[in-house]
Amino acid sequence: MIVVTDVHKRYQTDHGLGLWVLKGVNLTIPRNVNVGLVGCNGAGKSTLLRIIGGVDQPNKGIVQRTCRVSWPMGYGGGLQGSLSGRQNAKFVCRIHGYTSHADLQDRLQYIKDFAQLGESFDEPVKTYSSGMKSRLQFALSLAIEFDVYISDEVTAAGDASFTNKAAAAFKGLADKAGLIMVSHGEATLKQFCQSGIWLNQGQAHWFEKIDDALVAYKESLPQ
Amino acid sequence: MATRSPWQVMWSVWSALFLREALARLFSSRGAWAWLLLEPIFHIAYLVIIFTIIRVHYVSGFDTGLWIVVGLLAYFTFERASGQTANAINANKSLFSYRQVQPIDSMVVRAFLEVLLLSVVAIVIFSAAAMLEHDVLPHDPFELFLAIFGLWLLALGWGLVRAVLHDLVPELEIVLNFIMKPMYIISGVMVPLASIPLPYRDWLLYNPVAHGVEAARAGFSATYHPVSGLSVSYLFAFALVLFFTGLLLMRRFAVRLVTA
Repeated sequence: MIVVTDVHKRYQTDHGLGLWVLKGVNLTIPRNVNVGLVGCNGAGKSTLLRIIGGVDQPNKGIVQRTCRVSWPMGYGGGLQGSLSGRQNAKFVCRIHGYTSHADLQDRLQYIKDFAQLGESFDEPVKTYSSGMKSRLQFALSLAIEFDVYISDEVTAAGDASFTNKAAAAFKGLADKAGLIMVSHGEATLKQFCQSGIWLNQGQAHWFEKIDDALVAYKESLPQ
Repeated sequence: MATRSPWQVMWSVWSALFLREALARLFSSRGAWAWLLLEPIFHIAYLVIIFTIIRVHYVSGFDTGLWIVVGLLAYFTFERASGQTANAINANKSLFSYRQVQPIDSMVVRAFLEVLLLSVVAIVIFSAAAMLEHDVLPHDPFELFLAIFGLWLLALGWGLVRAVLHDLVPELEIVLNFIMKPMYIISGVMVPLASIPLPYRDWLLYNPVAHGVEAARAGFSATYHPVSGLSVSYLFAFALVLFFTGLLLMRRFAVRLVTA
């Protein structure tokens, strides 16, 4: 379960503090339900996902996680350019508890195969193309076992065969673990999610059914 | 997978960070590991040669060469460990996007790695000294250990405080840099504190690093007469106060430190 209590967020800009993006978000997200996050551009969807995933911190309020929650899938901030793909992958596996030699080798093999990096797996990440980097990031997110995965508009870049593989893996995730996702595709949301969160003017509204969230979202749009 | 206890999480983060830091320090560029070890070795050898050839052979009951070696190694423990700790946040900012990794983790790991690297330097230097028939066995290993540990704790505390200050007010880094410049001289690394007249000697003894350096020498040689007023408790009191002040600051500014 993820409990978000009174989360406020605004960003520091060059001209001082920006406007409040989130103004007191309160949510309780159960563990085994797939949730779609809807709202217009700039409503704070990505911000909320980043805060839930722990890669950003709220200015006020707290997020409590009683299960293992992923970082936003495909998030690239945690890769170090001077280290190789393998070294980066090892680090991420180790901090997530895959410490035994067998576990580690198993995960590394999975990541190497899934990301289709071949020999480049042992080259520094800074030499990777953007496609290679995002394949590695996506593979890393998949390799670690979480109870809830967070996905921000995940359209894993790459060639056609990788995109198909990624989509299949994503479906697999949606079946076995919880999912909190942002997507502008209505069909995608309906395919993966049961429940929905509608973000509007810094507040979050919970809907048991994703269809209701989509209706509320659409009604709020200017005609 | 079962949920891990906080201690298990911390331990796996520390070991992962340790391997990562060691890799980055030792193999980031061609022969990086060799320079890392040679730099302090040359620094020490340089001073030892200058002092033993130009100056006296004994500093109040201590082989001059070893007096310099022990003093410099003790001083390096403070200087290098505090520098590494203070830079830890900036160097590892991207890692804090993983919830498991906290700034304090990278600091502790870096300070530990630095001591480990210095131990290798110490082993090389003492082996060389032993081959030149110097007496390299410390007479009171525990006292020596205590002095080095005190300096390390002080370095960690100072590094913590410095890292937070640097994050809050970047300009302070410049000021602190020139305040800390004379540290090398006023810690009695090259000049025996005992030879400095009163009341100035007592002023220098407000500096906890001077206590650590002298205590390390006293632990090393049975015949050495350290400066009167030497107090290992002062070093530890200073170190603990700094350390907990640092922890307090880290706690207070935890969110600020991990957001870019």
